[in-house]
Amino acid sequence: MNLSMNLEDRTLFKRIDWNLIFVIVALNIIGLINLYSATHGPNARDVEPLFINQIIWLAIGWCVFFIMTFFDYVIASRLAYAIFFLNLMAVLWVTFFGKVALGAQRWIDFGFFRYQPSETIKLALIMVMAKILASRNPMGRGMGVRELAFPLIILLIPFGLIVEQPDLGTAMMIGAIGGSLILFSKIRRVILMGVIVLGVIGIYGAWKFVLRDYQKNRILTFVSPGNDPRGTGYNSIQSKIAVGSGRFFGKGFRKGTQSQLEFLPERHTDFIYSVLSEEHGFVGSLTTIGLFFMLFTIIIRIATHARDKYGALMCMGVLCYIFWHMFVNVGMVIGILPIVGVPLPLLSYGGSSMLTTMAGLGLVSSVAYRRYLF
Amino acid sequence: MNEYVSNPDEAKEYWGRYRYFYLTFFLVFSVFTMRLWYLQILSGTELREFSEKNRIKQNKIIAPRGLILDREGRVLVENLPGFEVVISPQYVDNLDSLSKAIAPILGIESDKLIQKVQKSRRQNGVFAQVKLKDNLTREEVFRLKRIRLETPGLEIRESIVRFYPMAENGAQLYGYVGEISKTQLPLLNEFYKGLLKLDQGDIIGKNGLEEALEKDIRGVDGITFIQVDAHGRETSTATPNVYGEQIKDQEPVHGNNAVLTLDRDIQEAAYKSMVANQRIGALVAMQSNGEILAWMNAPSYNPNEFSTGISATTWSRLINDQFKPLRNKVIQDHYSPGSTFKPFVALAALQEKVITPTTVVSAPGVFMFGRRPYHDSIKGGHGNVTVFEAIEESSNVFFYKMGIALGVDKMYNYITPLGLGAATGVDIPREVSGNIPNSEWKKRERGEEWQPGEDLSTAIGQGFINVTPLQMAIAYNTIAREGEVVRPYVISKIIDQEGKVLKQNFPRIVRDVTAAKTSTGIQYSKETFRTVKEAMRRVANGAKGTARFWKIPGVQMAGKTGTVQVMGFSASDIYTRCETRPILQRHHGWFIAWAPWDKPEITVAVMAEHACHGNVGAAPIVRDVIQAYFQKHHPEVIAGAIKNKAVSQAKAKSEPVQTQEGE
Repeated sequence: MNLSMNLEDRTLFKRIDWNLIFVIVALNIIGLINLYSATHGPNARDVEPLFINQIIWLAIGWCVFFIMTFFDYVIASRLAYAIFFLNLMAVLWVTFFGKVALGAQRWIDFGFFRYQPSETIKLALIMVMAKILASRNPMGRGMGVRELAFPLIILLIPFGLIVEQPDLGTAMMIGAIGGSLILFSKIRRVILMGVIVLGVIGIYGAWKFVLRDYQKNRILTFVSPGNDPRGTGYNSIQSKIAVGSGRFFGKGFRKGTQSQLEFLPERHTDFIYSVLSEEHGFVGSLTTIGLFFMLFTIIIRIATHARDKYGALMCMGVLCYIFWHMFVNVGMVIGILPIVGVPLPLLSYGGSSMLTTMAGLGLVSSVAYRRYLF
Repeated sequence: MNEYVSNPDEAKEYWGRYRYFYLTFFLVFSVFTMRLWYLQILSGTELREFSEKNRIKQNKIIAPRGLILDREGRVLVENLPGFEVVISPQYVDNLDSLSKAIAPILGIESDKLIQKVQKSRRQNGVFAQVKLKDNLTREEVFRLKRIRLETPGLEIRESIVRFYPMAENGAQLYGYVGEISKTQLPLLNEFYKGLLKLDQGDIIGKNGLEEALEKDIRGVDGITFIQVDAHGRETSTATPNVYGEQIKDQEPVHGNNAVLTLDRDIQEAAYKSMVANQRIGALVAMQSNGEILAWMNAPSYNPNEFSTGISATTWSRLINDQFKPLRNKVIQDHYSPGSTFKPFVALAALQEKVITPTTVVSAPGVFMFGRRPYHDSIKGGHGNVTVFEAIEESSNVFFYKMGIALGVDKMYNYITPLGLGAATGVDIPREVSGNIPNSEWKKRERGEEWQPGEDLSTAIGQGFINVTPLQMAIAYNTIAREGEVVRPYVISKIIDQEGKVLKQNFPRIVRDVTAAKTSTGIQYSKETFRTVKEAMRRVANGAKGTARFWKIPGVQMAGKTGTVQVMGFSASDIYTRCETRPILQRHHGWFIAWAPWDKPEITVAVMAEHACHGNVGAAPIVRDVIQAYFQKHHPEVIAGAIKNKAVSQAKAKSEPVQTQEGE
């Protein structure tokens, strides 16, 4: 009995993927240092408490991470539909009765916490899609129209609701995550071609009928920011100056003029990466991106060793979630993508985003915990 | 154990696909790295220059608030230019030498200045400006300007200071200005939605007219775009900047001016009289059409102290003062009307035909009701009186009998339509409503039946009755106008800087209680009002009138005095001399009057707290205000009366003088 306990303990310790945890902790530390600077400017009294909030969210996030790790993700798979359904109800509620922030309805206000269901539904969607896709395509031929119909419907419901809010950034993220998962689990070549053609038509249609003026402006401004330097182009220009002026080693902690003198908008959320780049330069920016790519590699390794398709797909879903957010956010900050309000996972301020990311990584850790040991 | 173990190799299907991900990551990582290399290494020097040379900062230019003027365009509230000195710590080379240089000029120890800067640095970072002193004198500004060139980081900024030239006089009416608080900000933005957009740090009206007029007199703040280099020097906006174009400043727009119905002459006369008589209390004077001419409370405070940031000691002194200098007593404090309520009861009794103008009622010194004695205002009583003597001499017993005959509900029905028991709707914030009780009210509020004894106290204006000085002025004005209730107002018009009228208020008659049945189901006749008016004329002019010692040559006032017990006294104490008591136990005095008695032009109400009597306490002030009004508008009436008096006296003395005059 005693011997078996010891064995069990040792395996428990060994089975946890420590690489994963170390990389996340490294990103957390960078995130907190950077957020402190972003929230403690000379005239930023109002955002100061956000730093403490973020520490609280991070602590809760780690609790969720470890609960997820020791929880068999098979159980998560059984609950997937229920979680997705409940979350969808919340999105529905927000879409029609939600609190208006920055021109769009995004939150349910619990007083101490503004819950943003469109953030958590990304993870719920990953769980449901992984469950559906794991059971499709058994022969490896690629999915046809009939196999695709159900996952597409599941993807389009939250997508449509969030476009309606309107929160184009989040909707785009959901589309990208779901689309990546479907592509990953292979579709037939004919359908792939069809999707490309439809995509082109869809983008044209969206421009004509779906996008609101401010959204179109952002895209137009991205193409030529000089058109409107005091309006939409302002953020893009100021962000580029902030990143560039950091040069090789950066201006130093809390010494970034662009961020401290408030030239940067939304500097603790969407533009957190410009603060980092300005104050820590090329070295800091690259280290952070490097850590993200290390994280991605670790997740792929875990997916490779997953004991089943469901686990692998879930890892890939979480990977896509973090990757797409990072790609769009950093791309926007360094001026190669248009301005889209998307947070940078683990670095931006925000409880919903932090909890979703940590829970997702917890699922990945859970898959790692139950991997085959080769 | 479960289905997954049964097919351990199923996930191997994906193995071939992971390489696409690695490929994507490699591409994205390369693109990001190249872009960062381009921005931070290749363009880094250039962009660093932009960030240091081209710090375009939006600075707010505070728009001046509109002025507040009296009815003749004389200034009551204005703006003065002020100066404040700030330093920007990041530009300072040597804080020690800088603080040593400016310490003697500002009269603050250099150690304290350094502490202030270091504290701000710790709390707000190096980029926050630190205000060292505001409200600089010209001398200070001059001396600071001379050392400014050698001390980078030192800056003298212009500011606008709200100025109240009349200082304590009328302070509660004008209110004051101050910085918006964090908790107020969202509430006010919600309240002014679509009209104003306030930011943190904005100066707003906090009380009185400054608050009521916020949306009318607030200007639109301007914006300047200032380019500052790394050493705090302003760079020319003409140099090409990152935007590749010049940015134009937005000029601030001066707020619109407000013209009041107030008359500065009358206001000053009122203040002078209140101070000369050393009175605590409230005063309101209005034209009989509802235009308010003077409005003041005593003791008062100096609103200029708020404009420059009030000190903690001054603030605590103001809020702890037992006579409440911050309160606008004219509309915010409840008082018992006391004997000034009697004319209303007389109106009710006459209209209800309880008495006629000729009915004689016996008014002994003590009146037994049930087993309790009710005392009159003078020991021996007033004997047999009609309504005229009852008001003139202020008999209590006469009105006890009226109270019993009418009952509270009839009094309520007759008296509330005159302008009591509800807010007057004057355009100053936070007016209280007052209270006229009836039996239903008592059941609702206290859960008790109305006691017959309470009819007595109600009839002499004690008990549950609460009024404000403004309500009393309105109700007396209703008697003067024989039934027309007017709406009081202070804000006459809003005009822009060119003098164009944007908004205007006009006198309005709210209702005429003689024209139709009121909502309480009664209707007065003009005759009733005329009877009571005559009785009230005798208060100021009759041989036994309680206010007969305060007359104005050539003008006959009509009104009523009142004395209100602040606390209950035992029967033996009732006639002890009020002046010998501690001040907080002394009676309040009322006098409310209008003039001329038959064709009213002006109505004045004075509540003199702890002044012991309505006549000596309040009547002289009312007389002074009314006299100032006639001196200004009808000087010939007063001059003529004085001359006639002199002539008749002279005539009585010696005939020859008169003949000389005749020649």
